[in-house]
Amino acid sequence: MVESSASSLSRRAFIERLGGIGGTGLVLAGMSALGFGIESAVAAPPVLSGGGGKKVVILGSGVAGLTSAYELSNAGYDVTVLEARDRVGGRSYTARKGTQLTELGGEPQTCNFDEGYYINPGPWRIPYHHRAYLHYAKKFNVPLELFNNDNDHSYSYFDRGSGPLNGKAIRKQEIAADTRGYATEMLAKQVNQGALDAEFSPGDKELFLAYLRSEGYLTGKDFKYVGTEGRGFITDPGAGLNPGVPSKPYALTDILHSNTWATLKSVSDYDQQRTMFQPVGGMDQMPAGFVRNLRPHIIRKGHVVEKIAQDADKVIVSYVDDKGQRGTVVADYCICTIPLSVLRSIDMQVTPAFKKAISGVSYAPVGKIGLQMKRRFWEEDHAIYGGHVYFDNPDISSIAFPSTGWLGPKGVLLGYYQFGTNAAKISAKSLADRQAFAVAEGQKVFPQYAENVESSFSIAWHRVPHNLGGWAEWSPDGRKESYPILNEPDGRIYLAGEHLSYLTGWQEGGMESAWQQITKLHKRVHA
Amino acid sequence: MADFGKTVLVSALLGLATVLVAGAASAQPAPAAAPMDGETMFTQNCSACHQVTGKGIPGAFPALAGDAFVAGPPETVAAVVLNGRGGMPTFAKDLSNDEIATILTYVRSAWGNKASPVTPAIVAKVRGGDMVEPPKGSIQAH
Repeated sequence: MVESSASSLSRRAFIERLGGIGGTGLVLAGMSALGFGIESAVAAPPVLSGGGGKKVVILGSGVAGLTSAYELSNAGYDVTVLEARDRVGGRSYTARKGTQLTELGGEPQTCNFDEGYYINPGPWRIPYHHRAYLHYAKKFNVPLELFNNDNDHSYSYFDRGSGPLNGKAIRKQEIAADTRGYATEMLAKQVNQGALDAEFSPGDKELFLAYLRSEGYLTGKDFKYVGTEGRGFITDPGAGLNPGVPSKPYALTDILHSNTWATLKSVSDYDQQRTMFQPVGGMDQMPAGFVRNLRPHIIRKGHVVEKIAQDADKVIVSYVDDKGQRGTVVADYCICTIPLSVLRSIDMQVTPAFKKAISGVSYAPVGKIGLQMKRRFWEEDHAIYGGHVYFDNPDISSIAFPSTGWLGPKGVLLGYYQFGTNAAKISAKSLADRQAFAVAEGQKVFPQYAENVESSFSIAWHRVPHNLGGWAEWSPDGRKESYPILNEPDGRIYLAGEHLSYLTGWQEGGMESAWQQITKLHKRVHA
Repeated sequence: MADFGKTVLVSALLGLATVLVAGAASAQPAPAAAPMDGETMFTQNCSACHQVTGKGIPGAFPALAGDAFVAGPPETVAAVVLNGRGGMPTFAKDLSNDEIATILTYVRSAWGNKASPVTPAIVAKVRGGDMVEPPKGSIQAH
């Protein structure tokens, strides 16, 4: 994004002028168009062969470990996977009836949802450009369904602004129609008065006005915003003599002071765009797909790594298993996918620079709660099918509705999804208090909320053993100083995982990191 | 998305301002939310990991009770709260200098710790003019 031409300066001037006219909302929309997303760069796994029975020990059976195990096995390597838990998948995880979790310093928790209902406490949505994930979904016949990541008819609930819309649930379609309607109307007025003539090349002005009219649903002749069908009806149009009763726009000042315009963007961030998917039946279906396609017995569950040693010829991994037995696995190479938040406390025979680099990253505190509801009131009473309710209270951030089981008897919704210090704070509550907090906030939006809650399952990833955080968060300094070191092997030890990608917190990052590291390992074996 | 994160923070501040004004204007002001004590703020912000006992969880969350680092130079301790370290997030955006000072003073005197209080001025000095970048994370993170 290096731009130094006169045209970029003029664009900046244009955006600044938008700020003067349309408020910061337009500037933000303009600025976000200048940003850039990070694309998953590789479309297919490396083609490897001739592993020749070399032994590789893989630490961790999340998607990075499973990807490594699958591809290396196929290439003829002798693979052993050590997994600390009694299940595979790591953060690719689904909580359903009987799922047990005890956070560090927390109470034991057993998921008590009805059969067939679940929450994905970790990753939950797959963007269309996460090609490694989609590759394995196809390969392993893991059926996908659409994940609704944006719902025009859902609400925002902001109560930290002011004015009559503060503390009210407002439909996204109303916020979007009114904010953009007024903004384009004002901009069109300036254009028609000649205030922006200097910005236009010959012929631009008429086209720009046509765009503004289209974007904001402005009236044909005088470029006024008077509302539009898309913001919804007071009474929907129907049969016979019912043309419907149109809704009326809110006042601009009320929209502005509600701050709900902050949910609008010209286009979603790259990693939040439609189309999005989820595996049918829960996120753990992908790890299950890997397991179906791996040779039996190569994953040893309940094996907690205590020490990773190496010499010129081999790697020796010491573990303690779930029966308290200690042992070692000796291999030619190691692919270690243990999160750096956990790895930093494991005795590891690497250079001091490598060891230091492992500590050069922080991990995100992240909290989620699934609430099983007796009936799907968001669908039945509010016509909301999937999508999110956004809050400006960062202790909640969002409520999300299930993208499955439409119109069924019950449903499990996501009651909060908070990060950082907010997650630290909420996770200090007891399980019962977490639920009570989530329900009290949801009740502000839906009068039916509290009366329908049947049970909950909550997670605070920073307190989960073997994870100690939701995902890696690299600072610019960490990316510069530590990250490059960890992307290269230390002796015979290779790291892989979402933490070694620019797609941190996404399964795609783990898979593509695995592809990259096993390619390096394979080249070395064949050097 | 980072834009949204900042916006939410700004609106949080606006909300706070409104509450204060409302409190000042009413005839019988609700007792202005008394500044919370260090123990309460510690319980809210820190205890999920470091535990109310200050003992942490071995291998995961460092103990603060009887810890030499905690009792060390206040600037270094404040820097960890402001910048984060290892698995710990930065609290720079969420806690004021006063609040951080209050919490650290509590931590340095609780559970048998006997280190000097931390003043807001010390926290301000460590914070400097350079605001720490908030971690990427907002309403739609992943």
